[in-house]
Order: sequence, then structure tokens, then C-alpha cells
Amino acid sequence: MARVYNWQLGREMSYWYPESRPQRQFAAVFDTNKCIACQTCTLACKTTWTSGRGQEYMLWNNVESKPYGFYPLAWDLKLLDMLDGGKWNGSRYEGQTVFESAPAGERVLGWRPESEDYAYPNCGEDDCAGQVDGGASMAMPHMNWFYYLARICNHCSYPACLASCPRGSIYKRPEDGIVLVDQGRCRGYQECVKGCPYKKVFFNPMTGTSEKCIACFPKIEQGIQPQCFVNCIGKIRMAGWISKPQDARPENPIDYLVHIKKVALPLFPQFGLEPNVYYIPPVHVPTAFTRQMFGPGVDDAIKTYRNAKNDPDLAGLLCLFGSSEMVMPRWRRQGDTVTGLDEKGNALVRVPMNEPVHVRPAYDKLYQIARTNCP
Amino acid sequence: MTMKRKLALAGALMATVACQTKAPVANEVVAMPVAKLPAAPQDSGWSAASEHTAKLLPQDLVDPRLMKASTAEVRVRAVASGSEIAFRLEWTDPVVNDLPGPGRFLDGCAIQIPRVREANPPDPQMGQAAKPVDIAFWRADWQASVNGREDSIRALYPNAAVDHYPFEAKSIEPGSAVAKEMAARYAPAQAVGNRRVGPRVSPVEDMVAEGPGTLSPGPGGSRGKGERTDGGWSVMIVRKMPEGLAPRQRTQIAFAVWEGSKEETGARKMRTGWIPLSVKESK
Ligand code: SF4
Ligand code: SF4
Repeated sequence: MARVYNWQLGREMSYWYPESRPQRQFAAVFDTNKCIACQTCTLACKTTWTSGRGQEYMLWNNVESKPYGFYPLAWDLKLLDMLDGGKWNGSRYEGQTVFESAPAGERVLGWRPESEDYAYPNCGEDDCAGQVDGGASMAMPHMNWFYYLARICNHCSYPACLASCPRGSIYKRPEDGIVLVDQGRCRGYQECVKGCPYKKVFFNPMTGTSEKCIACFPKIEQGIQPQCFVNCIGKIRMAGWISKPQDARPENPIDYLVHIKKVALPLFPQFGLEPNVYYIPPVHVPTAFTRQMFGPGVDDAIKTYRNAKNDPDLAGLLCLFGSSEMVMPRWRRQGDTVTGLDEKGNALVRVPMNEPVHVRPAYDKLYQIARTNCP
Repeated sequence: MTMKRKLALAGALMATVACQTKAPVANEVVAMPVAKLPAAPQDSGWSAASEHTAKLLPQDLVDPRLMKASTAEVRVRAVASGSEIAFRLEWTDPVVNDLPGPGRFLDGCAIQIPRVREANPPDPQMGQAAKPVDIAFWRADWQASVNGREDSIRALYPNAAVDHYPFEAKSIEPGSAVAKEMAARYAPAQAVGNRRVGPRVSPVEDMVAEGPGTLSPGPGGSRGKGERTDGGWSVMIVRKMPEGLAPRQRTQIAFAVWEGSKEETGARKMRTGWIPLSVKESK
């Protein structure tokens, strides 16, 4: 094992291979507060990539209702249990990662979902979450709150899928950090399925190989955001490129949200993979829960997000989400207008922070007519 | 009891043990020359060959390892005819594992022979750089497919409900080039010619390796057939005679067995070291 630096843990850790960062790293920010669980993203991915034989059960993108929705069943709870929850000391992780706690004979600490574990892609999604006047009929650890967690592969900086493949069939592209399974080389041992803590590699019984989210790389190569991003109804997603913390540039939207404002946080950083999908945590959920899921930065992130109305830059950047099909590697705000830019600084999209408001009286004096509220 | 009587008793016991064994036990794999290779693992033709019982060890040298021993031994017979050599591997395995799927693993076995016959053979663990080993690999799911199991998700999950595959839309002619091209789009491993993809035409796959993690498709021609016995598998693998192997010559052979119910796959397997392999002179 090599020693590598994981900035999300604030320390070095052990990894199967030495540190080798791509020229640039694909990354994304998801705002959980805006997701409505319409599953349009799930279907956009499904129809594009996983409509074949053997892919029936696969959801490279899934949206689960937390705390009781999982895909596959209990994916996060199982690993948290195995890691004994994980211990933070401020922003430094002092527990063990999946690499450091690999038992003898294993490359990574993991577990294998069974076919049945994929059969309930969002159990708990219809649970009541409001006031029950007569009291609840049973007591649960989390009583009456929920939120939607949209998940894709995290195209991790230290992928456990890649580390656990004994054949080297999984690779991280040097040009964009996208993690792919070589479909010619894979022999379907399912070691990656066991190793990925996010359970985002799937075994295809008809092709005999494992398959995973490809970050729509044919689109990314043309500067276009992936399918689940451009089809998102809630406009919760933004794709882009993330720098190392010390190289963060405020004009890079992902850097701004993750490194500068620290409003978007990694999913289960304690697993040790340096995942590259970052989440703005839900503001209404007990933070004892979200701290375990997104790390120690949760309380500050929520404070910053809640204060966005007094922070025109942050509010402005959030307006850019879902505004263009194109990846916006840069952005700027001038007054009330936010602009998404390409690498050269050309405008890709302009968005007003406040849409003009027209108030029409219900009774039109000029025409002496009452207006109905039809569009 | 006198020493003489003790020895006599022990001799009688040994004789009983020998009588129970159908064929003489050999401490190496000796292929019997036959006019015609048996067609199936349970053919009477195999009784001519002596049986070698190979003890299996867990693969515990490279990660991921098999930490707990499973299948204890594999019983091997070999026969040779002309340019071909056939092996029959039998082992105890009460549970059939021939359905692939997430979290499901398959029963299987393999034979491994050095590409070049030499005094200093390659590493028995999948060979080594510049010293390749040829491997013939049989798997229970491929056998099921060859035996006629349909290549569909419903054959693997009888209750599977599938609404629609785009390449089976009403507007597309079944089996047409358009349908095939579209289906391949959703099966990248098939599109790039990965031999894992069904439907199988043979239950045996030829592989070559030059060390752990280097397994790749090998020059072909091997064939085989696996059958269930009472509480186990009986698998026959036929391959071409190893280069230069003739009576009075020796090479090496190694065996591996995968027990699907124990999640054995790839490197997680029971295996042997090298065992001498020779061909008996025809009488
Ligand atoms: S989320 Fe899982 S599949 Fe994706 S790169 Fe990380 S370890 Fe691999
Ligand atoms: S499309 Fe967007 S809003 Fe709808 S479920 Fe997916 S992430 Fe949530």
C-alpha cells in the first residue's frame, strides 16, 4: 500500500496505488434542498445507458429518500457498521478508511449485495413525514423528516472499485478523472462490486462483466453536462471540474462552492475515497444525521446556505444550476446578472438573479373585465 | 498381539482399501493411451486410467485471497489419443451454482499446463513473465447454457418482469441488423468482443497467463463437458497434447476448483501446485 493525501480527511492515508491525480477532475455539486424525487434523472440515465439485457435492475443514477431509502438495501448502514461509525477530531478524520481497515486477504473492506438487495430501489419513499396528531404507532430512530439523496458514481480520486480489481480492469482517465470499467478486460469477478462503498458498480449477468456510470463521457468530451444533469427538473445539479484545495479558483463554480464557500460537501468522506460529487446538505434534517453522512462541515455549510439571500455571489451562482446544457468551467456575477463562461471566458449563458415581476389587478378597469387566473 | 500379526493385519487393511478403489492410485497424473477419447465424463473409457487424488489448497498468496479452505480434493484421470489429451476432474460439491448474477458465483474448474516443457517450470500461481501457462477453464453456467438454457434474464430470474427493451420495439424487425446494432449499444462487453458474453457455444474457455492478474484469451481448441454426479461434479476437459509431451517425457499440470456457494471467483479459489504429468507408453 502507498501513502497518499486525502484532503477530505485532513490527513494522509493508505491506498493501493500511489497518488496520481488526473490533469483535471470531473466533479459535481448537487443541492439536496431542491430535489423533488421526480426520478427524471434516473430515467434519463436508464434510457440512455442501461436498457439492455442484464441491466434491468441497474440504476447508475438513483434517488433515495433518506433516512430509510436505500439502493441497494442498507448500502450505507452496512459499511458504517463495519467501520464502527468513524471518528472525527474537528476536520481531521481519526477513524479508519475502507483501505486502512481491509481485512487479511482483501484489498478493501467491503461487502457483497445480493440480487434481492437491489429489489427495493427506494423503500421508505412513501413514509409519512408530517405531524401525526394521534401520535405515531411505532417509534423509529428518525421520526418525521426525510430528504432526497440523488446518487451517481462519485468518480473518486481514490476509487475503491479500481483498487479492488485484481486484473486492473478499472481505470481512471488521466484527462478528466472519469472512472471506467474496461469492458474488454473485465472478467466479472465482482470484486469492484464488493469494494465500492457507494455500490455504484453493477454486475451484468448477461455480459458477465461489471458496468458503471461513465459520467456520460461522450458528452463531457464535447463540453456538455451528463444526461442526469441536463434533464434534472429541480435544477439541483452542476457539473464541472474541481481543483485541489490549495489551487482553488473562485471563478471556478465547483471550487467556489466546495473549497471557498464550503457549502457543498462530499458523501461519506470517512470511507476514504475522496468522492467528487458534492452535496449541499438538507437544511431541515437533524445534523447528527447529516454530519455522519457529509462530514464535520455540515453545520457551517447550512449556515452559509441559509445566508445566501445576503450573499449575492453565492445566491447568484446557485441561479446558474440547470441554466445551460453546457459545462460552465467559469462564472461571474455583475450586479443582478450571473454569467456561465467557457474556459476562454466566452459567455455560455446569462441568468438574471431576479426575474421581473408583473402584478396584474384582478379587475381591469380599462376594459372593465375581471381577469381569471389562467396562464 | 505379536509384531508379525500386527503387520499382517495392517497388510490386510491396506488390501481392503486398495480393493475399494476402482483404479490404482497414482502420485502423478498419468494419461493412458486409448484408441478413442471418451465422449462424456461418465463413459466407461475412463476406467482404464489410474486416478490421482490431488489435495487442494486455498489461493492465499495474492490478494484477494481465499481465507478459508473449501473443496478438499479433486480426483483426476487422464487419457490420451493422437494429438489430444483429456482430463476428467471430479469433486464433491452438494450445491449446484450455475446461475450468474449480482452476489452469485459459479462452480468451475481449470487445468493449467506450462506452455513450454522445461526442467524449471514457471510459477504454479498463473505462470510468470515470459513463462506462460495455458489454462482451460470450465464453468457450470456455460455448461447450462450449452445444455440449452435460454440466454435471457428470465432463465436466471424466473420472476423477472421486463417492460421493454428498445431493440425489441414493434417498429424494429426482430433479428435485423438494426436490432442487433441497437442491442450491442446496451452491451458494451459484447460490442468489444469480450468472450464472457453469452450465449456460449462451449463450456470451456482457453486462457493464457504470465502471472497473477494477466489472464487473457488464449489459443483455442479445448472442449469439454460437465455433468452432475451424486453430490458433486464430473468434468471432462480435452485439449491438444502439450508440446513435446510423449511417453517417457514429463511436464507439469495444476488444477483449480471454484465453489460458487462459497463466493469463490477469480483469485479466490482452491488450487494445487505443480503435479507431474506423463503419458503411458502404449502396449
Ligand atoms: S463511487 Fe464507487 S464505482 Fe464510482 S469511482 Fe468511487 S469506488 Fe468506483
Ligand atoms: S431529476 Fe433532479 S429533481 Fe428530479 S429526482 Fe433527479 S435530481 Fe431530483
